[in-house]
Amino acid sequence: MSNSLVSFKQLRIDVKVTRSRRLRIVDSATFDVEHGQLMGLIGESGSGKTMLCRSLIGTLGRRSAYIESGSVIFDGTNLVNATKSDWREIRGKKIGYIPQSALAGPNPVITIGDQLAEAINQGQKLDRETVHKRSIELLEMVQIRRPEIVLKQYSYQLSGGMKQRVMIACAIAQNPKLIVADEPTTGLDVTVQAEIMVLLKEIRKNLNTSIILVSHDLQLINSICDDVVVMHAGATVEKLPSEEIINALHPYTHALYNSRIDLVEPRGKLVTIKGQPPTVGAWPTGCRFADRCDFVQDKCLFGTQMELLKADTNHETACIRYDEVFLGAKK
Amino acid sequence: MTSNLFLRKVLGRLVRAVTISFWVMVISFLLIRLSPGDPAATRLGAGAEQEAVEALRKQLKLDVSPLEQFTSYTAGLFRGDLGVSLVNDVDVLETIRNTLPLTLTYIFLSVFFAFLISIPIATLIGWSNSASIVYSFRSITSVIIATPNFFIAMVGILLFSVQRDWAPVFGYVSEFPENLKYLWLPVSINTLILVAIISRVLQSSIVDTKSEEFVETGIIRGVGRTRFFFYYILKPSMAPTVVLLSYMMGTMLGATVILETIFSLPGIGRELVGAVLASDYPMVQGILLFFGVITVFLSFIGDLCAYALDRRVKI
Repeated sequence: MSNSLVSFKQLRIDVKVTRSRRLRIVDSATFDVEHGQLMGLIGESGSGKTMLCRSLIGTLGRRSAYIESGSVIFDGTNLVNATKSDWREIRGKKIGYIPQSALAGPNPVITIGDQLAEAINQGQKLDRETVHKRSIELLEMVQIRRPEIVLKQYSYQLSGGMKQRVMIACAIAQNPKLIVADEPTTGLDVTVQAEIMVLLKEIRKNLNTSIILVSHDLQLINSICDDVVVMHAGATVEKLPSEEIINALHPYTHALYNSRIDLVEPRGKLVTIKGQPPTVGAWPTGCRFADRCDFVQDKCLFGTQMELLKADTNHETACIRYDEVFLGAKK
Repeated sequence: MTSNLFLRKVLGRLVRAVTISFWVMVISFLLIRLSPGDPAATRLGAGAEQEAVEALRKQLKLDVSPLEQFTSYTAGLFRGDLGVSLVNDVDVLETIRNTLPLTLTYIFLSVFFAFLISIPIATLIGWSNSASIVYSFRSITSVIIATPNFFIAMVGILLFSVQRDWAPVFGYVSEFPENLKYLWLPVSINTLILVAIISRVLQSSIVDTKSEEFVETGIIRGVGRTRFFFYYILKPSMAPTVVLLSYMMGTMLGATVILETIFSLPGIGRELVGAVLASDYPMVQGILLFFGVITVFLSFIGDLCAYALDRRVKI
C-alpha cells in the first residue's frame, strides 16, 4: 500500500488536559486514502474524527493535542515529524482544508478578496493582476455568481452556502492533492448541503484530488463517497466501499445504518443505538462497542481488539465475530 | 450593507443621540430643583433677611413656576445661551469653556496611554497558555477594578508626593511644560484603572478569537506572522474594547469629580461639585448637559469605530 496518498497507521492522539493529565482522543486510526479517492469518515461526536483531520493540517497543537504514537504518511512525508517549514510546504499547498462551520470559517474583518489572495499567495507575493484573475477563476469554479462583487464583500454579507463555497475556493487555490472537509455542511439547510456535496464531487473530478469528507450523517456520506471509514470511540472500526454498507461487518456500522431516519415510517418509532457511547478516554477493555452490541459474547470483552481484520479485498472490520455474526447468518 | 442603508442607520443613531441629549437636559433640570437648597439663600449667606432672599429670588427669576423656568431655559439653549451663574454672574458657557479642556486633556491622555499599554499586555496574556499567569493577571486587575479610584489616588499622593517629592500634592499651572508636572500623577492613576479594565476585556476577546475557526483557516493559508497577528487576532478582538471604552469615557467624566477634587485640578468636575453645593441651577444644568452630550456623542463615535473595525457589529 505504499502508493497511497495518505496512510494512517495506529495513530494515537492525546490531549493535554492539565500538566500531568492526558486524555486519549484517538487511540487507533488505521486506514489509507488513495489518489483521487473520495473517502468518507463517519462516527459519533467524540469518536476522534476532528482530531484526525487536525493531524493532517498540523493544528493539533492549538488544541494542546499531540500525536502520541503511530504515523501519518502523506505523499511520502511522515507528518508526525514535520517541521514548521515542512508544514508550510504541505498545508494550504498540498492539503486544502474546508472548516467545520461555514458560518465561522471566513475571517469576519477582512474582505473575501483578501482571503482568497492569501490562499493564492501562500506567503509569497504575486502581482495583483494574477491574483485577481485567479480569484475570479476560483469563485467561478465554486459556482459563485457575480464574483467581482463578492470579492469586495465581507463574510457577513454572504449566505451560509456562499461562505462555504468561498472556503472551498480557498481550499482549492493551490490545486491540492488532498482536501480535508470537516463536516462541511454543518449548519446549512438540506438543499444547500446537497449543492455543496455535488460541488465537492465535481471538484474531485476536475482537479483529481482526494477528499476526506468527515460527517456524522451516514446517508450523506454513503451517497457520494467511494469508501467509508467508520470510527467509534477513538478507533477505526470498519472500512468498506460505500455500496457495501448494507453488508457491513461491524455491529456498530449496522446499528448506524439501521438508525437512519428515512427508514422510519411517519409517526413510527425511531431506531436508536442503545446505551451511551463510552466516555472519551475512559474506554473499556475488549471491544469498545461491546456494551451496546446485540451480539456480545465473553470473548468480546478481553484484549484490545482494535486491529482491523481483512474480510474482503476492500473490506476491513474490527469485529472479531464478523464471521459468525454476519457471514454466518447469511449462509 | 449598501452605503445607503448604512447612511440611514447612522442618521438614525444621530437622531437617537439628540433625543437622549434632550432627556439628559430635562432630567438635569429636574434633579437640581428637587435637591434641597436655595441658591438665593446660599448666595446671601446664613444670616440673610427673609426679604432680601425674596428680592434676590425675584431678581434671579426663581420666583416663577418651574414650567416657566424650563421654557425660558430651553429657549435660551436654542440661542446658545446656557445662562449665567447664580453665584457669581459668570456666563456658564464661558466657565465650561475654561474648565472642560483640562478635563478632556487628561481623559484623552489616560485613554491614549491605557490603549498603548493594554494592547501588548492583553495580547501576551491572551497568548500564554499558562494558567498561573492568567490567574495572577485576573487577580491583579480585579483588585485594581474593585478599589475605589479616590483610594488609589490617595495612595498615589502618599507614595509620590508625600514620601518622594516627585509630584506636587495638589494645584495646577496651565502653561505647557509645567502643567505636565501637575498632570502626570492624576493621568497615571486614571490610566492604571483603565488598563485594568481594558486589558481584561481585550484579553478575554483575544482568547475567544484564538479558538475561532477562521484563525485555523488563516494558519493553513500560511498568512505571515505580522499580518496574522493584526488581521486574525487583534482586529477581530477589538470591537468590544472600543465600544466599552467609548462608553467609559462618559462615566470617566463623572469620575473626574472625585479625582479633580482630590488633586485640586481646576477642571469641570470640580466646577460641578462647587455648583451643586451652591445650588447654582444654570451651572449644574449646563455642565450636566455637556457631560450628557459628550457621553452620547462619544459612544456614537465608538460604535462607528467598532463597525469600521468589524462589520459584525450592529449599529
